[in-house]
Amino acid sequence: MIEIEKAGIPAIPIVSGRFNDDAIASSRAFGMPDLQWVVVPRIYRNLEPDISESQTAEVIDEIIANLTSHAGERDSALDHESSSRYEGEDRYDAVLKMNDDFLRDDLGDGLLLHPPTDEAVSAMIEGTSLDANFEVCDMPPGFGIATVEKIAINAVMAGAKPEHMPVIIASVKALSMIGGGGGKSLLMSTSPQAPLLIVNGPVTKELGFNPRSAIGPGRDNHVNTIVGRAFALCFRNIGYWYPGKMDMDTIGTTRKFIQCLAENEEMSPWPSFAHDRGFKPDESTVSLFITDGELDVQDQGNHTAEGLMKTLAYGCTFGTRSIQGEGGGVQRLILMPPDVAGPIGKEGFSKQEAMEFITKHAVGSLGKMIRYMPLEGEARVSEHWEWLRSLTEERLLDVQIPVMDKPEDCSIVVLGADRAKTAVFPTGPAPVTVGVDEFRPG
Amino acid sequence: MHLLEVKNPVAQQRGVINSIPTNPRPESLDGLTVGLLWSGTHGGDIALNTAGRLIQERFKDVTIKFYNGNNYPAPDHIRQQCIDESDVVIGATAD
Repeated sequence: MIEIEKAGIPAIPIVSGRFNDDAIASSRAFGMPDLQWVVVPRIYRNLEPDISESQTAEVIDEIIANLTSHAGERDSALDHESSSRYEGEDRYDAVLKMNDDFLRDDLGDGLLLHPPTDEAVSAMIEGTSLDANFEVCDMPPGFGIATVEKIAINAVMAGAKPEHMPVIIASVKALSMIGGGGGKSLLMSTSPQAPLLIVNGPVTKELGFNPRSAIGPGRDNHVNTIVGRAFALCFRNIGYWYPGKMDMDTIGTTRKFIQCLAENEEMSPWPSFAHDRGFKPDESTVSLFITDGELDVQDQGNHTAEGLMKTLAYGCTFGTRSIQGEGGGVQRLILMPPDVAGPIGKEGFSKQEAMEFITKHAVGSLGKMIRYMPLEGEARVSEHWEWLRSLTEERLLDVQIPVMDKPEDCSIVVLGADRAKTAVFPTGPAPVTVGVDEFRPG
Repeated sequence: MHLLEVKNPVAQQRGVINSIPTNPRPESLDGLTVGLLWSGTHGGDIALNTAGRLIQERFKDVTIKFYNGNNYPAPDHIRQQCIDESDVVIGATAD
């Protein structure tokens, strides 16, 4: 609607009540804080038609009023005090009071935050070659201006160290480069999309990232967790990814406690993922994936490359696919442990050949994949897929189709401990890889 | 007593700094074309068609034009067609 208004045409959206805060946040993010909209009680998409009609009829006066007269300016002022003060009996008490305040304003992740004092933030900024006021990017989905200082403040709150700053800065920049409308719709989706960060290169050992059982709590994953948390706090307070405002999940996911992982380059039979993206072995990088689920694919007996990959290919077939465009296939991020990657590489499969094999064998029932979106009416069926309408339910279930359109839709990162348990993530749009070294102190 | 001073972690939004106002509204919808821009999500079409029908009942010579964007945001060519052919626009994503 904002794009329509920007073209000179009065426009209003109809939004459901749960999305009122989202509409406020979006109008600010996309440059028209005074945009008007009309609120109905319930989300339309699974509502009975007669209720859809009646709840729209109830707001018709408001729709007309907003199209024919200026409803007055919406209060778009935001509090941007540069600092705040807390008094306590001692430092610990003051930190707890700060945490109460930050929790009330939803500035954290629900866990205790470290205080971003001037001294701590200045020390954090020393971890990068960039000046405090340097603008790294506008961070989606709210397009807050990611200055080095704001990144450093959030990094301090997460418990990060100055040497983590180059990775955190590169991660923030990577998010701003995600394509496919990621900033405007995907991140604000009612599905639980969340970023996952993969680090490659010398920085992984220097900082102590764990490339083995890399996801989860504990001492071994301290760096993975803290750097991921720093990025997540940036995402919240710079990207405005606040739950109920610009993060509109229906249920949510623990993947939003974002993890930063390192590829297990030493135990991989192939060049690194960063190499696949055009970087040299002595360059450090961060790759950002948007994931939308997670599945453990077990293999309890295969030891041949084809056996292991056929199991893995089957694991890639879960979920749905779109019939909105000519393609509509999905993408998969495969975190492949050394005990799966090793035998595949040993039998002579390059990574590209493994991607091709998995893509070819990840085949499933088209009828099941598109069941979530009934074909009747004006559903999201592109011209390319119109022929599906002529098939019976049984015939539709019999149609076998690859879930991925091309091998490049399958990203392989070698990571994990010594067992044949692979993690497969639905992902998309394509990952973004950013070099870390340019942000390191000179 | 201990005094703790901490910095604000929240960034300024580019869209607020560079904000632009909404457009002037017509006094009436009589004789105008109302564009209905649908994201393709189930139920949003019912909302828009209901709004269009009720507006036609209340104003004279209103033309209703329905645009199926088939996605959110709508593809550029659909949005542009809607802009070119409409005097005012109502949108719905069904959320």
